[in-house]
Parts: sequence; C-alpha cells; structure tokens
Amino acid sequence: MPPPLDASQPRLAAGCRWGPENKAGSEERVVLFPEGAIKLQGTGRQILEQCDGQRTFAEIIAELQKQFAVADPEKIRADISIFLEQLQRKRIVDY
Amino acid sequence: MLPNPLALIAEVTHRCPLHCVYCSNPLELAGTQAELSTEEWTSVFQQCGQLGMLHAHFTGGEPLARPDLAELIAAARDAGLYTNLITSGLGLNEPRLQTLVDAGLDHIQISFQDSREEAANWIAGAKAHAHKIELSRAIRRRVDRKRLAFTVNLVVHRQNLDHLEEMIAFIEQLNPERIEIAHTQYYGWALANRAALMPTRAQLERAVAIVAEAEKRLAGRIRIDSVVPDYYAKYPKACMGGWGRRLMLINPAGKVLPCHAAEVLPGLSFENVREKTLEWIWQESPSFRKFRGEDWMPEPCRSCDRRTEDFGGCRCQAFLLTGDATVTDPACSLAPSHSIVESAVREANAGTEVAQPETASSFVQLQKQTSDLWSYRTNPE
Repeated sequence: MPPPLDASQPRLAAGCRWGPENKAGSEERVVLFPEGAIKLQGTGRQILEQCDGQRTFAEIIAELQKQFAVADPEKIRADISIFLEQLQRKRIVDY
Repeated sequence: MLPNPLALIAEVTHRCPLHCVYCSNPLELAGTQAELSTEEWTSVFQQCGQLGMLHAHFTGGEPLARPDLAELIAAARDAGLYTNLITSGLGLNEPRLQTLVDAGLDHIQISFQDSREEAANWIAGAKAHAHKIELSRAIRRRVDRKRLAFTVNLVVHRQNLDHLEEMIAFIEQLNPERIEIAHTQYYGWALANRAALMPTRAQLERAVAIVAEAEKRLAGRIRIDSVVPDYYAKYPKACMGGWGRRLMLINPAGKVLPCHAAEVLPGLSFENVREKTLEWIWQESPSFRKFRGEDWMPEPCRSCDRRTEDFGGCRCQAFLLTGDATVTDPACSLAPSHSIVESAVREANAGTEVAQPETASSFVQLQKQTSDLWSYRTNPE
C-alpha cells in the first residue's frame, strides 16, 4: 500500500476501536485490535483521534500544522504519513 | 509491583463438533454438567474489567455450542473488554452472526484445516470445510463489515505443509484482514499424535520462505502472523508471555489456569472462580506464583541473558517431555534435556511419507481406518 493521499479519509480498520476512557487526568488512551492493543498519548493520540473516516489526510495535516506552528510543516506531513502507513500495514488503520 | 493481567482466555465449553487431531485441549475434558453458568461468566468478565484487562478470547471446544454465547459476549463488552471469538464456524449462520455482532463481537477467527475439502475434513474428523467457506463469504458480505475484524487461522503440520502456497492462495480469496499460520504445538491430543504431525526440516524451511514471500506480497492488505515451531527453533517460546505474567485462562468448569495445559502439572492445584476472586487468584494463588519471575529458575536459565525474553520456555512442555516441570524447556538448544527434542526431530526426518486422506461413511469408521496413524479428539461426557 502506498502512503495516504491528500484526499484519503483514514479511519480505524475493521474490528479496531478505542478502549474505555482512562481515569480522569490520564493522557493515555488505548486502541484495541485483534490480538493486541497500543497505548497512545500526545501527538499519536491526537492524530489517530482525527482519523474518523470523514476528515481527509490533508485536513488532518492542516490541523496538526496549526497546532504545532513552530515545527517544519513538511516534517509534520512526513511524520504523520509514516505513522499512518505503519498502522495501515498492521491493519489498524485503513485509508 | 505485580502488573495486572492483560487478557482472559475463556474456554466456555469443551464440547466441539470437530475432532481435530492437532487439538491442544487436555485429554481429560470438562463435562457439560460442570460448565459455568451465564451468570458466573458475567461475574468473571466484570472482574476482568475491574482488573483493567483488555481482551476476552472466547474459545473452547467450540464456543458456539453454548446457546448463551451472545449474552456472554455482551457481558464481556459491557465490562470494557475487546471480544474475540475463536471458532470452527460450525453452529453459526448469518442470523446468529448478526446477533453476535449486535452483542458487541469485535473479531472473529475461523480455523481452516486445509484448502482441499477432503483433506480438511480428514484432519477435522468432520464434514466442516464447505460450511466454513460459506460462513467466510457471509462475513465478507456484511454491509457493516467495518465493525468486525476477520482472521483465518490455518494450523499447519506434516500432512498439509507440502501445499502451503495453495492454502495461502485459498485463504486470500476469503479476504480476511489477518491470517494466522499456526504450527501445531504438541500438547493434549497433538502430543499424542506428534509422529503424524511433526514436519520435516525440509517442509519447514520451504514453509518459512513461502510465508516470507506472502507477507511481502500481501503487505497492507492481509497481515500474516506466524512463528517458527519451537522444536526447530534455537530457543524456546515465551510461553503465554511468561507464567502468570500477562494471561489468565478459565476452563469450562471455572478452574483458573496460567495456560492451556497447566492441569497436567502434578502437585499444583488450581482455584475456581466459584470460590475465589480473579484478583486474589492473580495475586495470591500458589499456582500463579509458582513459576512467576525468576526465583524458580534452574541453570542454564538462571544466568542466561534470554531469561527475560523467553522466561525459561514452557513449564508444561518441560513436564510432558522430561517428567519435571522445573527444568529448562527441552526445546531450548541450551537445555540439558534438549536431546529429547533432537531425537523427536530426528525421527520426524527419518521418514518423509505423508499419509493420504481416507474417506469414510461415518466418524466411527474413520477412527478405525486411521487408528494406526492418530487418535481423533473426542467429546466430554
């Protein structure tokens, strides 16, 4: 699979979902999938929470670029792309 | 501090319509009368949720043999658990599948015995193959297929590894998200049938190359999970991710075990969820503490760099092959008892013949015809 396109609408793949909300104040949230789970916090969590099957890849990038205005926008794009591509190979994300 | 367990393996029944010769269930199966009730399982799942566990794996036997399976899945889901059904598919049609998904089923894992119908039914001792194909198609036909992950589990061994490519191609067209290629592990019925099931080194080497090629070709479409069988590995498997470290298993009668086979170990007694809480069992029970951590380890494990990776291998395999559960897993090339595994491997490589499927008009006839080759798994009382 190639990396996501600007018009791609990433979402959690079949049978992958957010786990229960953690105790109040916890930064961490779990994504559950067949035979495993990943704990996410910070930027990883922010990116994946935007992957609702509605927002496009371009919109997700724009949102994160806005939030991290001091960082290099191209680097943000590349990082998000690699992150989603890795999760796609594990069949946790589809786009 | 002791971390909480991550997942529960719920053996909800030992009844099964299949008789697979590679079954890892114990030879002494729990009877129907002893099975936990719906309410008892519901309490178990609530306790799991409170312990912060993440996954509930429904297995057996055949979980579909329980008429209350949808209720059990709903109870697990309500407790915050991810629900996985490990099944032969027998007993499932489209309406019942819908009921299970509505109850909150997240993942279904269907086992296939082979790509060839005659061979598949021969391994299973039952005419199951055609139904499994129908069911897989029904899973993929679903309108809301995004709700349910689909894995095909293929158990491989001496009798089918020669056409692994064909089997992978067959599974590909069933279009699952995931394929598990599971080499037979020698416990229970599989250990009794080991001579007929253990692959040759040549079969294994070819299989490793075929799996690597398929992983590359299917990347992004189908995820393949596969491990090298431990008899042919240099180091033992990290059985259950370490004893009492990540997983709890509850058998149909409510006994709480650190792994599938632990009941074979002499001198250990296991608590029942009817009498103790899961939390107490996890933290305090002598059986879960017995091989937890490193204090129990003999040499060469005790001073081995890998002890935090494989935890000394499998306690049940150590007992089954050497008669002593406290020694290094003989699958380890450094184990003093490794010659036991070496000699099994030698035997497996001495003859290269593969048996041919027999056709029979009944299960009893099939049992008779194949009695020199293996024993089929039977059912509990």
